[in-house]
Amino acid sequence: MSIFQITLIVGIVMQSVCLLLTAIRFAIGPTLPDRVTAFDLFVANVIGIIVIFTELTNNEDFIDVAMILSLFGFLGSISFAYYIMRITK
Amino acid sequence: MRLLLIHAIMAAFLTYFAFQHAITGGMPYTAISATLLFAAVMFILWLSTYFYRRTYFHKLPKLLYFILFFIKELLVANLKIAYDIITPHFRIQPTVMAYPLTAKTDLEISLLANLLGLTPGTLSIDVSEDRSTLFVHTLYLKHGDVQHLKQHIKNGYERRILELTA
Amino acid sequence: METSIDWELVREIISCVFILAGACFMLIASIGLLRFPDFYIRMSAITKGSTLGLGLILMGMAIYFNQPGVLLKVLAIITFTYVTAPVAAHVIGRTAVQNGIAFWGKTNLEEFKGYLMKHRLERHTNQDRYTEEVPPAMMEKDGGAGDAAGKV
Repeated sequence: MSIFQITLIVGIVMQSVCLLLTAIRFAIGPTLPDRVTAFDLFVANVIGIIVIFTELTNNEDFIDVAMILSLFGFLGSISFAYYIMRITK
Repeated sequence: MRLLLIHAIMAAFLTYFAFQHAITGGMPYTAISATLLFAAVMFILWLSTYFYRRTYFHKLPKLLYFILFFIKELLVANLKIAYDIITPHFRIQPTVMAYPLTAKTDLEISLLANLLGLTPGTLSIDVSEDRSTLFVHTLYLKHGDVQHLKQHIKNGYERRILELTA
Repeated sequence: METSIDWELVREIISCVFILAGACFMLIASIGLLRFPDFYIRMSAITKGSTLGLGLILMGMAIYFNQPGVLLKVLAIITFTYVTAPVAAHVIGRTAVQNGIAFWGKTNLEEFKGYLMKHRLERHTNQDRYTEEVPPAMMEKDGGAGDAAGKV
């Protein structure tokens, strides 16, 4: 295992710690918009993990997954925001 | 704006065909060489606009300079917030300010609001109904003065956006 | 032709630097998500940090693969992320203001008072510690969402 692969694995570990911290905010977040923000950060972290995994396995087909995930993340946060706006009016 | 898109698509197709039919002569098909060829084609197309679209000829360097300025702002603000998160005490001083807009059209206002939203430390909340003020939530104030930050936004972002969309 | 082997190593090193920088930005962003006291501060500080980190990681991957197709896909993802992140932040922020999520106690709201008075939101602001209030209308109208918001 070369230094390059070790660096990539360190990157994945850092992203996983990010996911853990974001999950804490998702659990304790006092309001609903807080949770939507945490969900946004979730999606960003998962895209980062997929990208680093693509580089680790040297198989560039996984980028399409990241592309589609970024699309769905945006749709998810926008629809959550509209849902909150409608539900409290 | 439309001319820029047409030029970019033309340059991309030209680059693709040049590599497909091996006109480039032994140049390796990598990202760096493709980017260089794309930039060269765009440069030639930009030079050609001197004869039929003088405003585009003058605006493209301003656009590039604006993108560089924006990347610099992004990095500086991100490092500032990162320093604030790591050190134990906050130096933030949150303020909601009413920023008087000079921009009038939809495109200019949405461009300004989105660029302010992309910079860390500022978040555009809402536009008033008569489109004269933009409410911006900011974190850092120099010398505790709102006017200083308003001047910075006016001279840094809004003047350049107005120059570009004029 | 020992230069070709050399270029591979250079690409790996540059890619590693980009990816570590991006991961550091994302880690700092998630620590800030836990530390900052108020929803608006979190929103304006954190989402952009993670966006910049994602852009750095994607650029690192494009540099490592060095193929035009991969570069095009990476540029598409970066453009999409950078266009949609401020839009999502703005929509969520405006929704939070109109639903009366409280500001931090030290926030200076001098110039914002007119807007708040107009939308009758002034009683919500400037509470230092705020708790989750589920309005009764929300519980009646949609049981599932009210439960989800109330329980956790």
